[in-house]
Amino acid sequence: MDKIRLNVLPSPTFGQLGVNFAERAVGELPSDKIWLEGGCTDITGDAVCSIAAQNGQTVNIIQFINTDKAAHIKTEINAEKYASVSLVQVFACQAPLISQLETKLDENASFDLSQLYIGGLDTVSEIRTTLGGRLSRFNADIAYTLGTGSKLDINLIADHYGKKSVSEINVGGVLNEGSDKVFKGTIDFKSGASGAKGHEKEDVLLAGDNIRNRIVPVILCAEEDVEGSHGATSGRIDDDQIFYMRSRGIPDEQILNILARAKLARVIGKIDDEQVKQRIFKALGWGDLDD
Amino acid sequence: MSEKTQINDIDRSLYDFRFDEDESDRFTSGITPEIISEISKEKNDPEWMSEFRQKCLRIYEKTPMVKWGASIEGLDVDNIVTYIRPKSRMNKDWDSVPDNIKETFERLGIPQAERESLAGVGAQYDSELVYHNVRSEVAKSGVVYTDIESAMHDPKYAEMIRTHFMKLVPPTDHKFAALHGAVWSGGSFVYVPKGVHLDIPLQSYFRLNAKGAGQFEHTLIILEEDSYLHFIEGCSAPKYYEAGLHAGCVELYVAKGAKLRYSTIENWSKNMYNLNTKRAIVEEGGKIEWVSGSFGSHVSYLYPMSILNGRGASAEFTGITFAGKGQNLDTGTKVVHNAPDTSSYINTKSISKSGGISTFRSSVVVNKNAEGSKSSVSCESLMLDDISRSDTIPAIDIKTDKCDVGHEAKIGRISDEALFYLTSRGLSEEDARAMIVRGFADNVSKELPLEYAVEMNNLIGLEMKGNVG
Repeated sequence: MDKIRLNVLPSPTFGQLGVNFAERAVGELPSDKIWLEGGCTDITGDAVCSIAAQNGQTVNIIQFINTDKAAHIKTEINAEKYASVSLVQVFACQAPLISQLETKLDENASFDLSQLYIGGLDTVSEIRTTLGGRLSRFNADIAYTLGTGSKLDINLIADHYGKKSVSEINVGGVLNEGSDKVFKGTIDFKSGASGAKGHEKEDVLLAGDNIRNRIVPVILCAEEDVEGSHGATSGRIDDDQIFYMRSRGIPDEQILNILARAKLARVIGKIDDEQVKQRIFKALGWGDLDD
Repeated sequence: MSEKTQINDIDRSLYDFRFDEDESDRFTSGITPEIISEISKEKNDPEWMSEFRQKCLRIYEKTPMVKWGASIEGLDVDNIVTYIRPKSRMNKDWDSVPDNIKETFERLGIPQAERESLAGVGAQYDSELVYHNVRSEVAKSGVVYTDIESAMHDPKYAEMIRTHFMKLVPPTDHKFAALHGAVWSGGSFVYVPKGVHLDIPLQSYFRLNAKGAGQFEHTLIILEEDSYLHFIEGCSAPKYYEAGLHAGCVELYVAKGAKLRYSTIENWSKNMYNLNTKRAIVEEGGKIEWVSGSFGSHVSYLYPMSILNGRGASAEFTGITFAGKGQNLDTGTKVVHNAPDTSSYINTKSISKSGGISTFRSSVVVNKNAEGSKSSVSCESLMLDDISRSDTIPAIDIKTDKCDVGHEAKIGRISDEALFYLTSRGLSEEDARAMIVRGFADNVSKELPLEYAVEMNNLIGLEMKGNVG
């Protein structure tokens, strides 16, 4: 298998940070596409998935990705005018994984992405959304919890071509001992995307020794009439939060657990399939949903 | 039809005058072992320095060009003259400086600033210092402010130069650091003894008059424990059609409890490639403050770096970049937290107009041993038209869980709400826009010495006309 560069940062930066690309061996993808039209699909190996939302159509998809050997998954989405696509991706792999998600949005189309990364040995995830149409909209809610030996490299790119297009990107998660995470988020305002808005935020809870946390929040701007922002915070549990929780009678050993759960609950709460939620709880070791 | 509010490019008339070249030594262009030997001979280098220059040349030849950032394809180093000696040796008296050179610095206001508000001045013209002086009371306190070449030949400081020169910025750092090591000439050496606080600043001014030339000055500042210094650096050049190169190097050593403020107004002409390297290492409880204004040059790569090497060391970076027509200014900063309880604060502003490209690029690294460290990064960009470009590329690399790091950035144009508010208070729209742009740059200009703040306000010339943009 040849090694290729994935997760390439659209505008490279200092090489010693090791964030400009991720190099991985990649095999050939299956030639047959899996067309997803709704509901939950389990993915357990190499796959190419396609989602087509026609004019005005609403499509809700859940992908539960759980592989026990190295896999490469590609998902393509095309949303026509006024179409609305909601995609939930749950990554619960204990093997190296490459995930590529490419979305094209036409006029007034919207794409609501929720991603949950549970552990993972070596996950490289590329998310590229082209906001081509006027008033197209992209919302991304991404959460992760990484443990010992987990590596996660996310490269999210929102290309704004359409006038008044909007992207809202919220990322958050927990880094436990021995984990390594890279999040690169790029909002790219192309010339002509007047009135476009893009906001990006990441909050990382550092909860163990020997972690590595790299954040590269990029804004590229070739248009005057836009509004863009990004913010990132990374740190331990806030002293005020500890004080508040202690004052409510919560023991210290549960405080981290509760706050870590809160980081993930934001994304899990958006899933309205009880069976999928149950599986997520199981993967997270949270016990039964009803508990 | 409504007309867009115009914000003028920087008024460069103050800097764009030039005199005929009448250098006594203008080396041939390019960089070869023979030219390096000639520079060594001309400067009477000690043996270690001659060998160091040749070693740097070999590193330069092996090191690839950077592959990120602004394009430097228009720069052909083989066409750059690396050494030009002006018709003057270094003087301690402006009256001894040749008339045309003296007039250059008079027009730039350097002698006047020296008289009014500086503890010492160094003035470099092309490749050599032509003037260097320090007030007698400052010299009596043990402060040394001289050119590197003199210090290198002074038995008291020769070893200090040898043990510090290009140790913070090794020639292997990047291609232009290697080039600098091979052809460096001029610059300043400052030594502030333990416990000495200099209440008024020292200033070095670098002027490149010759066309198709490079300036490679080296600034080495050593602050001993609990000392304080404010050092100001200014640079400019007249405009030519040929590309010019500035590849200087600044190395700052800040000892325990010492504090150094390093202010720069960079205003090279728009034919210049400004590929400068600046780095500070800060020991326990020490502090480095960078104040940086980037207005000139065709292409800039400039990221002053702070290595926080002792417990409780801190760094502040305050910068503004104004990219106008034909300019691609890639600026920012780097911080390495390499000890417990260190802190850094980065605050930058950038303005892009008339097709100018402004890129903010930063790197904050928190090493595993930097427990209890804190860092905050804030950058704001203002786009003044739709033909310009503004990019923000910050990076954070955290290797310990026991730290707190925050970053925020904003990009946009002049807000309609702010305009509405100001006009409702009785300001004309033109005045309101001017006020907003000045306010945008205010937190940087207030960090500058007064005369530089005035210069900066002059640099951002505002001309308001017409209606809503």
